[in-house]
Amino acid sequence: MTKHSQILLGLLVVGSLLLAACGAAATPTPSGPVTIRWFVGLGTGQQPEQLEAQEAVVAEFNASHDDIELVLEVVNNDVASDTLSTEIAAGNAPDIVGPVGVAGSNLFTGLFLDLQPLIDSTNYDLSDYDPATVEFYRDPSGALTGLPFGVYPSFIYYNTTLFDEAGLNYPPHAVGEPYVMPDGTEVEWNYDTIREIGMLLTVDANGADATSPDFDPANIVQFGWHTQWTDPRGEATQFGAGNFVDADGNAVVPDQWADYYHWAYEGIWTDHFIPNDTYLNSDLLVQGNTFGSGHVAMVALHLWCHGCYSGTDFNLAVMPANNGVTTAKLHADTFKIMASTQHPEQAFTVLSYLLDEAANDLLLVYGAMPARFSLQGDYFTTLDAAHAQGVDWDVAVAMLGYPDNPNHEANMPNFARAVERYNEFQSLYRGTEGVDIDAELARLVADLQAIFDSAE
Amino acid sequence: MPNTEEKMKKPNYFSSVLNKRMRGWVVGGLVTMFALILLLAWLAPFGYMISTSLKTQLQISDITAPLWPAAPNQVEIEGQTYDVFTVPVGEASPAWFDVNGDEVQDPDEASLANGDYELAIVERGRESSKFVDPNDAAAGAIHWVGRWRTLSTAWRFEPQWQNYAEAWELPSRPFTFATLLYNTFAIAVLGIIGTVISCTLVAYGFSRFRIPGKGLLFGLLVSTIFLPRIVVTVPTYALFIQFGWVGTWLPLILPHFFANAYNVFWLRQYLMTIPREMDEAAMIDGAGPLQILWFVIIPQIMPAIITVALFHMVFAFRDFFEPLIYLSSRPELQPISVGVQQFNALFGQRPELIQTMALLGLILPVLIFFVAQRAFTRGIVYTGVDK
Amino acid sequence: MAIGERILATFKRSPKPPKSPLQRHETRWGLIFLAPWIFGFLVFILLPTLATLVFSFTDYSILHVSETRFIGLDNYTRMLSDPIVGQSLMRTLTFFVMAFPLAIFIPIGLAALLNSEHLRFRRFFTTFFYMPYMVPLVSAVLIWGGFLSPTGGWMNRLLETIGIQGPDWLRSTTWVYWSLLIVGIWGNGNAIVTTLAGMEGVPRELYEAAKMEGAGSFATFRHVTLPMISPIIFYNLTLASVGLFQYFLEPYVLFAQAGDPGGSTLFFPMYLFQNFFQFQEMAYGAALAWVLFLIILAFTAVWFALRKFWVYEAERE
Repeated sequence: MTKHSQILLGLLVVGSLLLAACGAAATPTPSGPVTIRWFVGLGTGQQPEQLEAQEAVVAEFNASHDDIELVLEVVNNDVASDTLSTEIAAGNAPDIVGPVGVAGSNLFTGLFLDLQPLIDSTNYDLSDYDPATVEFYRDPSGALTGLPFGVYPSFIYYNTTLFDEAGLNYPPHAVGEPYVMPDGTEVEWNYDTIREIGMLLTVDANGADATSPDFDPANIVQFGWHTQWTDPRGEATQFGAGNFVDADGNAVVPDQWADYYHWAYEGIWTDHFIPNDTYLNSDLLVQGNTFGSGHVAMVALHLWCHGCYSGTDFNLAVMPANNGVTTAKLHADTFKIMASTQHPEQAFTVLSYLLDEAANDLLLVYGAMPARFSLQGDYFTTLDAAHAQGVDWDVAVAMLGYPDNPNHEANMPNFARAVERYNEFQSLYRGTEGVDIDAELARLVADLQAIFDSAE
Repeated sequence: MPNTEEKMKKPNYFSSVLNKRMRGWVVGGLVTMFALILLLAWLAPFGYMISTSLKTQLQISDITAPLWPAAPNQVEIEGQTYDVFTVPVGEASPAWFDVNGDEVQDPDEASLANGDYELAIVERGRESSKFVDPNDAAAGAIHWVGRWRTLSTAWRFEPQWQNYAEAWELPSRPFTFATLLYNTFAIAVLGIIGTVISCTLVAYGFSRFRIPGKGLLFGLLVSTIFLPRIVVTVPTYALFIQFGWVGTWLPLILPHFFANAYNVFWLRQYLMTIPREMDEAAMIDGAGPLQILWFVIIPQIMPAIITVALFHMVFAFRDFFEPLIYLSSRPELQPISVGVQQFNALFGQRPELIQTMALLGLILPVLIFFVAQRAFTRGIVYTGVDK
Repeated sequence: MAIGERILATFKRSPKPPKSPLQRHETRWGLIFLAPWIFGFLVFILLPTLATLVFSFTDYSILHVSETRFIGLDNYTRMLSDPIVGQSLMRTLTFFVMAFPLAIFIPIGLAALLNSEHLRFRRFFTTFFYMPYMVPLVSAVLIWGGFLSPTGGWMNRLLETIGIQGPDWLRSTTWVYWSLLIVGIWGNGNAIVTTLAGMEGVPRELYEAAKMEGAGSFATFRHVTLPMISPIIFYNLTLASVGLFQYFLEPYVLFAQAGDPGGSTLFFPMYLFQNFFQFQEMAYGAALAWVLFLIILAFTAVWFALRKFWVYEAERE
């Protein structure tokens, strides 16, 4: 290589290195409006009608604010955390993230802005919130990373047509009410009852139900029960709240959770009233949207899915009890400001707009119950308009009183790795026949312990 | 020589010209037949794709439905829609009228004669159901004993062409599919321009000029093929943010103006097969390197250039991860490969619309490939033989 | 293709003869033509690659950017005690061993069919065999998800008509590899088309000569076609190796929502990807990425070394 070209090459390398290195500090200060980027994807917000509503909110905001330009960024849920990680790593983090739940936030622990100083400096009015729901967003370090926005209680969506066809009575709409069997006997609304009627509601292609001796488990066309779109913690929490990590940071499986995994495993592989992985990922159950498929009689799921089923033949029932205790897992979504934002005040302006002016429009399409007292009244009126056949929304309100505490999405050391590991367990018990649940649980605890230990 | 003997024997079987031609027809027919059968198996997933694109969501989740787009046989009675089944009435499955709507066990006078009936189901039950005769709804419900799930229904062929209209309109977006189509091809065409210009220049440099360290440089070039893409993803993203390129097409287009290993490699191999005599003659006539490139080299390597253009078109069409991360905030700038994702949302999967969009997007590249195939394959022929 | 030789040649050529003005002129023009690539290489390849290498010696994570420290080779030594590294590498190798022969031989077989002088409508056939390569990933993944579904999927319905009870293609830990292979081969249009083009480029005279010798069509294929297209086979072989070692995107999208059967598709690049983006351990991910790069380089170096034993090369430059 000639000396000349060597110098040229050297200059190029240095030049491009400089270009990359100095950029992080040198953010240009534009004279126009400040751009605030709103990232949607970690939770709900990607359905067509949600996209429309969000875009309308952005348009309205921009029309009424000259100093801020709000930009919407929607990414599909399955690639959202990867995309957000890339953006953060590259120094291009968005300003506002949401709607995001507990699990979505856990992945980015410590990266959200403490809102307390902004609340204090703007005299933001917190009186419209239940103080307990505000404290829900205070992290262990004392920072307030979010304000309550929407809550999604869970309950049972049941398909009335499928109950009618089986000649069964509908499940109870109030906690403590018994279930009336076809012969008139009253039984407690618990998971034994779920199993019993679940099997009657599970039917093969020949019309035989799961209690029948000639039932064909390879050709099931309708199932009795499913807990839709949740991980093993979300499933097991229905038997009683708990977590895979105890107060001392050790890996555990709470007793009631072990009971659940046995119950679910039997339900999938012996009694067949819960779909296995193969059925879940088939077109029959619309790749896992079991309530939406219309082929599952009872689905435990959150309020956010009230639009998942296009039919009108459904209603809501309360969660059953396990050992006398009813647990309905709770989701709560909000918007969070990233601590890396260059414009915290403007981001807070957008945040309060989303929580106040835009709240009604957004909550409706997200399917969330408003956390603000003042908004709750109108909410169910609009839901009734959307589902004219009459849905017993009181069930949803009632289920708010039985939340899972600790929450099934609560944080764990080395969160993403732990989630990856216990999801493997779910895929195992849902996908494989002949699994020794106790042995697998022991293996899970050992692996989780190692994962917890490796967190600094 | 045994070979000559064998050769001598063969004409005995097919001595006449006519026989030879017939033999050609038979062999050609057989080979084409075989290829056709193979192609049918190869394209079976496309059958699924096309069929899905024309189905309703309801049919997709009904596993008893036929493979082709169809609608169940239904009738409307007094404003309500009911499914129609072929109901066999016989010893094992008796049926009788239930005029008052009451539960009747065995009213002898109104039993149906044995035979098959086309009846609309009005009330499903596990072991017995109620039907009405669509032609005589006033006669009342027919009580039939048996499992309705074992009944057969006559499906009608009913493709949902409106899926194409819906996918074209993109109901959740303020723009139509035409925008995605335009984006895809604009990104592809701009990238093609960049890659063709830069790769031609670089390949020309590598094949025609004596440069110190050229072998090393060429080795470096080829080794970039082996670099996992993820190694460069995050730093490159960081770089493009500094350039202010995120949220624009630039990250998908501009890097292609700086050549890439695959295409430089192809073009260089092709250039190696072109004799140097012509450039030397041009050089003696006083032509500079640029003139030689333009007037002598490019006309000769046109097939290879078209190949590069086609390779890049298909690359741009398939590229998923980069448009995803660079255009996530700008849906109106996304190409089809990413835009199709909106129908794959967790809570609202619309498989029929995804397939519809994918098929709409395929038409043009497949046509281009069909037409440009000759140059495409010829381009590879020359570059392929190592020299 | 003589990269190895070229690299060696540059080192051998140490006693440089003094340059003539003409030669300097040529060098300058050559460098001008190479400039776009050199610039692109530095900015889009070398710089990011080195940045990743630097990352791999730190404990960088987006969760604590400001506390990033240099930790030397810790990320590399950590791999030795991380059981998933070995497991996922084994999976990648297993899949490689299964897929590699098919990735080579099926395109050759199809290209031979498409190149047959007896075949009518060749352009039509070639286009349609190539077409799956152009299907967008998201759509292809859904097509196969539905096509291979054990409940009502076309594949098992077709198998049923010939009396075979099809397996659970995508949810069984043993069958999932075969399913991925089918998906991969279906979308391997580039290899088919390049091989076909290579076959079309074999001079007619060679076939004529083979015919004169009385060689049958199989012998002709074995002794004329294959050696003549060996450079193309070599090219596809190299690309297939590189592609298979980096393989993860199809199963990643396919199982993004449902999870894969028993972790059976956690290939090495997938684990790398997870560390990078999911576990927020970008530094560890960067180290894994570099290891993958070195493995691929070593592997392809073996191909290049073995090349002279079987790849036909016409006169060298």
